Amino acid sequence: MKIYTGGGDRGKTSLFSGERVNKSDLRVEAYGDVDELNSALGALVAFLPSGEGTLSGEIQRIQSDLLHIGVWLAVTPGSPASSELPSITQEHAKGLEAAIDRLEEKLPALKDFLLPGGHVSAAWAHVARAVCRRAERHVVRLLAGNDEDETSLQLRGVVTYLNRLSDYLFVLARYCNKVQGQPDTIWKK
Amino acid sequence: MSPSAARHDAKVYSTKLLARRWLTEKVFEIELTRPSSFQFTPGQRIRFYHETRQRDYSLLTTPSESTLGLCLFNVEKGQFSPVLAAAEIGTKFSFTGPHGYFTYRPSERPAVFVATGTGIAPFLSISRSGVTEFTLLHGVRTASDLHYQDFFRSTARLYVPCLSASPDQAGTIENGFDGRVTQYLKEYFSPGTYDFYLCGRQEMIRDVTLLVDEKFPRSLVYTETFF
Repeated sequence: MKIYTGGGDRGKTSLFSGERVNKSDLRVEAYGDVDELNSALGALVAFLPSGEGTLSGEIQRIQSDLLHIGVWLAVTPGSPASSELPSITQEHAKGLEAAIDRLEEKLPALKDFLLPGGHVSAAWAHVARAVCRRAERHVVRLLAGNDEDETSLQLRGVVTYLNRLSDYLFVLARYCNKVQGQPDTIWKK
Repeated sequence: MSPSAARHDAKVYSTKLLARRWLTEKVFEIELTRPSSFQFTPGQRIRFYHETRQRDYSLLTTPSESTLGLCLFNVEKGQFSPVLAAAEIGTKFSFTGPHGYFTYRPSERPAVFVATGTGIAPFLSISRSGVTEFTLLHGVRTASDLHYQDFFRSTARLYVPCLSASPDQAGTIENGFDGRVTQYLKEYFSPGTYDFYLCGRQEMIRDVTLLVDEKFPRSLVYTETFF
């Protein structure tokens, strides 16, 4: 099976809702960010400390959520395609909140700013966090002026999810450093 | 709670081969039992499993029918089609589904269905389910590959068989075109805004997509690639 089709060689691509758009379109930027975030999570899983199988499964479920989110970002407001997709609900964000609480219980309180880095798994968690924030900014821009239809309602759920996910990734970076015996690097002003 | 509480896991169904009908030397239809809980939307696929292999096929039957139907090209040295071509009636298989989003989405724009070969299958399901206001271009090599043409002549607003390898036959059949579907769109289709549904070989999908960008730039394009 060939992976290439050549249909995008002239700078356009097809959205899930059927429209042909330039690859510089804000929607493409947004789902491209989500794809980059997903890839960073894949690298993070590859470098997770041994014995963290539960965490690995949790991150892979997040990767699955991100695929759903990517499809929502590729649907234009008002498209009948939206009726075929599973919703991004508050339950998804609540799941992340529970995971954040679980990890934070194992960490000392934080009173300073940190420099991103440490163990390679923590470093990837920080990269993913920064990409997640960029994705969130792009989705917020997509929402501007479109807030009544079903797609926009879903995108509001996506913003909440990405906001919570970047918090999760920050805590996860600290957790990865802790289990690897790497102390947080405090920012010395 | 899991971050993915709303995820949908693919359910595995069992099915049994009920009948096989050869349409040409290489193309055949099969009829399968339909599990009572299996629901789908016209245009969707099922994923067949056999030993370590898997393969997706579009359903040609409708959600209101009691059995499932597929149309296959028997690929020489293929991974899966020779198994279904030779399996005894009564053989059991497993599948998951429904998969895919190649479903009809009503709009104010004219619908143009473009298929090559057995890529006609999802359009059969969609049309049998009641969709009639469409133009269908079916790209095949010869007239003997025009399966279901009687049905589509009676349901489509316009049905155009495009014969890429038999120029002598094109003139002998109603609306027959001597050439590929892409050529027909380029030479005979009025500029405008359409909803294109493309199903078949990836070369066709690439060529039609690029043509849409050039000649019908505000149109929508939905695709399903048959490998």
